[in-house]
Amino acid sequence: MTQVTFTLNSETVSLETTLSRRLLDVLREDLGLTGTKEGCGEGECGACQVYLDGALVNSCMVPMANVMGREVVTIEGFSQTADYAKIESAYMEEGAVQCGYCIPGMVMATGALLKTNPHPTLSEIKDGLSGNICRCTGYQTIFKAVQRAATEEVDE
Amino acid sequence: MIPAHIRPESLEELLTALDTASYTIFAGGTDLLIRKRQWQGAERRFEEPLAFINHLEELKEVVITQDHFLIGALATQEDIASNEALPDYLREPYRQMATLAIRNIATVGGNLINAASVGDSLPVLLALDARVILKSVAGERSLTLDELIVDKYRTAIKKNEVLTQVIIPRRHFSGYYYKKIGQRKASILSKLSVILLYRKNKNLEDLRIAVGAVNSRPLRLKEAERTLLETGCIDAYLKALLESFHSEDDKRSTREYRETVTLDIIRKQLEQLFS
Repeated sequence: MTQVTFTLNSETVSLETTLSRRLLDVLREDLGLTGTKEGCGEGECGACQVYLDGALVNSCMVPMANVMGREVVTIEGFSQTADYAKIESAYMEEGAVQCGYCIPGMVMATGALLKTNPHPTLSEIKDGLSGNICRCTGYQTIFKAVQRAATEEVDE
Repeated sequence: MIPAHIRPESLEELLTALDTASYTIFAGGTDLLIRKRQWQGAERRFEEPLAFINHLEELKEVVITQDHFLIGALATQEDIASNEALPDYLREPYRQMATLAIRNIATVGGNLINAASVGDSLPVLLALDARVILKSVAGERSLTLDELIVDKYRTAIKKNEVLTQVIIPRRHFSGYYYKKIGQRKASILSKLSVILLYRKNKNLEDLRIAVGAVNSRPLRLKEAERTLLETGCIDAYLKALLESFHSEDDKRSTREYRETVTLDIIRKQLEQLFS
């Protein structure tokens, strides 16, 4: 066991764990942050996506050794931001959520896309969400939601 | 038993550790964590302790000199894909690998040491005559890609060595062509990939062709390339290529598809180039 310290949703967290343990398991099991989902467990589906030092990553592919001293933002942390509020209302307006299992990952990927490219084309949206699998919606409503989030101003 | 993994604070500490015990070097982990996958939530079981190196800043640098691109082994695939100072012919194959969330973790060195037959960074680096630096306590040595990659998932790296840098000679190319073929565009292992790099002024002055995912390791026929450049005889080059294929049917594709499509793609490009 090793003492691992990192920043999680703006707060410092320190816990005992093994270096090879996945960030996904620490988030869900040790810290009770179950917004981050496990889908495929091999980097295909994107349900477990979080930000690591601001970059979108699959938390099923990150061992705790690679989290030490770094900054993690999960869907719980992201949901406190204005960027999230815009994405959330756009997803609701477009009816882009069915079973909802993929949505935390979709929202994280949407946030990452809009941060680097505030006005993406449809093709860029598809590219930005290409690491996320949804088995309900057929994706069209999700693409529309991202377009809506990119064009609408937020009421704050 | 839980193996005693290590997380050295410097390259020097890593090299000393590698010299005294046997470790599996763990960089981004996008291949290793998945290959050792067990049931959901279970800790991965590795045959030997891991040496985590992903945090070593000294191995992340990308430096552009007058003659070379020096890529730190721990630069991520996205570091290459998104680096506007690097040429498109190098960025494009990385850009088409995996997905953003994987490219943000997966490393340049990891793709080489994993040495999968479908490693999409291998053909372009082979075509560019890239070399790798392997360091150990005894010093360092430099290998070509051909020397490094022995076979599918097998490299010439020794247990006390770590790959620290990829050295790519800077050459002027007037154009390139890259094609990756898979079941879908993103997040897919290639059925095959082809890269062509060339310099054409009045005449064709330089031409390199590399093929990925067809054979167990990336394929480039330097001799046949030279002859092609001198003679312009496309048929002879394609014949040599066909004879060097040893593809197999697998879950991703068939031998026939891989070989036929690879030859068709290259023929079309060469016919345009030599016309």
